[in-house]
Amino acid sequence: MKEFRFRIFMIIGVLALSIYLLFPTFADVQNTNKIEQELSILTENLQKSNPTISEAQLNDMLLLKEDSLMLADPSIRENREKRMKLGLDLQGGMYLVMEVNTAKLIEKLVKNPDDEFNALLKSASAEAELSDEEVVTILATKIKASGKRLSRYFGSIREDDDEIIERLREQEADAVTRAIEIISNRVNQYGVSEPSIQQQGARRIIVELPGIAKEEEAKRLLQGSALLEFKIVKEADFTYPIMKRIDEVLAAQFGDESDSTLVSDSTNVEDLSEDEFARLHPFFDVARLGQQSADAFVEESNKNKVSAYLRRPEVKNIIPDNVEFLFDAKPFTTPEGVNIFKLYLVNKEAELTGGVIVDANANIDPQTTEPIVTMQMNSEGAREWARITGSNINKRCAIVLDAAVYSAPTIQGKIPGGRSVINGMGNMNEANLLQIVLKAGALPAPVDIIEERTVGPSLGQDSINQGFNSTMIGLFLVALFMIFYYKKSGVISDLALFFTIITIIGILAGFHATLTLPGIAGIILTIGMAVDANVLIFERIREELTTGKTPKAAVESGYANSYSAILDSNITTFFIGIILYQFGAGPIQGFALTLMIGIAASLFSAFVVTRLVFDMMVAKGNKINIG
Amino acid sequence: MRILDNLNIDFISKRKIAYIISGTLILLGLLSLAFRGLELGIDFKGGTDIALKFDNPINITDIRTELEVLGLGNIEVKTFGGESGILVRTELQEVPSEVYSTVIGAIQSSIMKFEPTAKPTISDSTSKSITFNFVDMKIIESVDAKLQHDGYQTSRLDDNHLIIRVGIADWIEGALRNQMPNNHFVVQKEDHVGPKIGGELKQDSIISVLLALAAILIYLGFRFKFVFARGAVVALFHDVFITLGVFALLHGVIPGLNLEISISVVAAFLTIVGYSINDTVVVFDRVRENIKIHKTAPLKDNMNSAINKTMRRTLVTSLTTLFVVTVLLIFGGDVLRGFAFALTFGILVGTYSSIFVASSFVYEYVQRTEKKIQF
Repeated sequence: MKEFRFRIFMIIGVLALSIYLLFPTFADVQNTNKIEQELSILTENLQKSNPTISEAQLNDMLLLKEDSLMLADPSIRENREKRMKLGLDLQGGMYLVMEVNTAKLIEKLVKNPDDEFNALLKSASAEAELSDEEVVTILATKIKASGKRLSRYFGSIREDDDEIIERLREQEADAVTRAIEIISNRVNQYGVSEPSIQQQGARRIIVELPGIAKEEEAKRLLQGSALLEFKIVKEADFTYPIMKRIDEVLAAQFGDESDSTLVSDSTNVEDLSEDEFARLHPFFDVARLGQQSADAFVEESNKNKVSAYLRRPEVKNIIPDNVEFLFDAKPFTTPEGVNIFKLYLVNKEAELTGGVIVDANANIDPQTTEPIVTMQMNSEGAREWARITGSNINKRCAIVLDAAVYSAPTIQGKIPGGRSVINGMGNMNEANLLQIVLKAGALPAPVDIIEERTVGPSLGQDSINQGFNSTMIGLFLVALFMIFYYKKSGVISDLALFFTIITIIGILAGFHATLTLPGIAGIILTIGMAVDANVLIFERIREELTTGKTPKAAVESGYANSYSAILDSNITTFFIGIILYQFGAGPIQGFALTLMIGIAASLFSAFVVTRLVFDMMVAKGNKINIG
Repeated sequence: MRILDNLNIDFISKRKIAYIISGTLILLGLLSLAFRGLELGIDFKGGTDIALKFDNPINITDIRTELEVLGLGNIEVKTFGGESGILVRTELQEVPSEVYSTVIGAIQSSIMKFEPTAKPTISDSTSKSITFNFVDMKIIESVDAKLQHDGYQTSRLDDNHLIIRVGIADWIEGALRNQMPNNHFVVQKEDHVGPKIGGELKQDSIISVLLALAAILIYLGFRFKFVFARGAVVALFHDVFITLGVFALLHGVIPGLNLEISISVVAAFLTIVGYSINDTVVVFDRVRENIKIHKTAPLKDNMNSAINKTMRRTLVTSLTTLFVVTVLLIFGGDVLRGFAFALTFGILVGTYSSIFVASSFVYEYVQRTEKKIQF
């Protein structure tokens, strides 16, 4: 049996790998069921104990419970990250294609437009609707045709037309980047799980929001202009007492809720165990204080909890009306790999809004070689800015986009003239991000939704059921037919078929691929096609046997002679898979992917798995029986 | 089990019969395409699709007449997912301007019904949404909740402004809700495709199918002789064209079978190309082998023997695949029905063409040009 050992190990290896890759998906399904069960019990209990509970309150409680369940067992989160995802067509959700509205962007960029320009722009954007040409190109041709130079409307007099067209294109590309940042910022704050935001081509953005039920709300997230504000961050001597009061109120509240009479006045933090600290200081437990400032540090997994605390009416009463708590837009990661958001207390009233920004640029400071961002304001903004910076020296000013803090640099001195330099970024990426954000205040990123697909959760569930049933019935029919037609060899090919299917699903899970309805269809189709290679081999072996060859020789020449046909036909189908992948969006790509993986897996099982079984049978001196 | 052992049919000599069958099918397809045309889905035309599921079975004709009153022009209504589901389709992108004021009026009267004292003013209106300005914060909350309960898509801009979507889908859904108050429904899916995307997809689809055929032509030309590659591609073109013809002939004829051309149907066509080539390659591979072994035998004999010898495997492989696509057609649900139908029919035609058309075409070509094939 020595000669087979390598192949046996290989097959076992592939099988083990597939099962290993599938495990997180399997575990996640169980975890999800468990969590759902607990949540529904909680819902029932809450509604029983408090029939008037509002939906918002209920959702808050459920979210907290879910977070704490997830937190209790870190493997839940791990498995969720590694599982095979379900496509929007199976779990429900929204798929949107958005395009930057160049005409609207140009409207903002043009200087001194006259009626003629407006008419040209209007007709150019109408023409672009129907043709492949872009608005910029059409408009440029039209302006030239009217005998004017582009510098009449854009840029400076020295620039020639090509330079201006180039610049407009850059603006267009900038607008896409900006729109993506604005959208992801809002989507993250809205708390959509596993959103996907991608750029497609030069001017398009594809947004996938799983499980979003309220379309209008979702769309408002994605459209509308972004609000950039500058807000002064409150200092520690103001912030700390408020946080302390919140902590006390929550501790008292939780003490009441758990019917414990013990409300400790112990303030000696070091003496407390973790659990005790969590009980006595519910707020500081999840929002830890930093060393220097009064910013609280909140772990990513606690962010929802802190938000929910801050939304409680008794907490709202403590926070003065003129200030608000805001989170960082993006977390920083500690050396231990924990993502942390900072929580700031800022003035509710913005000192200045982003409309005054004329330009922003990320650069490297030639002296310190640190990344910096320079920001230029218009004269009106500059005047205000000088006053604000002058009276807030050494305080921090938060740069806030749509209620998320992107940076909170300290004001080092009065800034006259409106040109500010921001430094202290960790790397060039951060600087670039800040530049995008600052520009979002100056220039809008108008986007139109040009395609929108919503699938409700009920249809998704139906599709899952139908897909699952079809797979099972198809598998059963094919397996039965093979046994009926090829008898013992049919059993071997059925084994190979199961092997193929497990491998396909395992590889899909390994790629973290998204399973879509057409993807399931691809698996079903592969079931029918996977046996084809075996059929070709069986028929050929049978043919060789009828010429009177020994089983060993028949198996060998059977495989050798069907090799080229199997390979040629599968390679051509694989080509089609590649073309399909290029052609289709989301769901169709899922189909193409399963088709291609299916081809690879079924070739492996035909050439390695069934071959091994035949070789072993021949070696044992068994008769080969094909039908 | 053994079927078709020692099969010996002179397929090549009887190729005239295949020509007549294929010719008829192609002609039928051409006539259907010319006179009935294809039914393009919104993927290609642009427009709005709404799938609704009612609590109780509904009568499609009633819904059609009810929707005609809306004045939205041509609205298609089909069954979707059993007798309590419908699919409503319109090519319109937004509520037409002549209906717009009626839509706004309906919303206003709903608000009046809930809160007679509200008296909101319209602060902004676009073709897709309208914003009302309320003086009283308390009223806006109750109006918002009630409108949502009635199925409107709303969102609050701030304490005083309420945005209500007035998309074409909302208007249709609203009308159905009003006219059938006792038969509640949920929206299963809503697709909205802009006109520009549709045009691009059309172009992409044609390019993909042509690219697929070209890829096969090049690969097989490289692996076999070019004349074989040409034969294979002719057979594939034949399959795709006849399947397309069936889509033109049968759309709207069989109830419950939605034969419109969508992206997934195009994907099915590409798959047909990819699958149908398999059987052809198996036959050609055998022809190649025969020519290598029986160098002096006439091409006709080599081809006939190849087709006969591979007949069983051609049928068995097609049969197993046919099993699964038929299962998909029956049990796969409405979303995949067109896709599964294209595959089922395509595999049938593909098997036929692998046996009767591909080799015959190669033979015909070799006869006409009096070339000799050697490997």
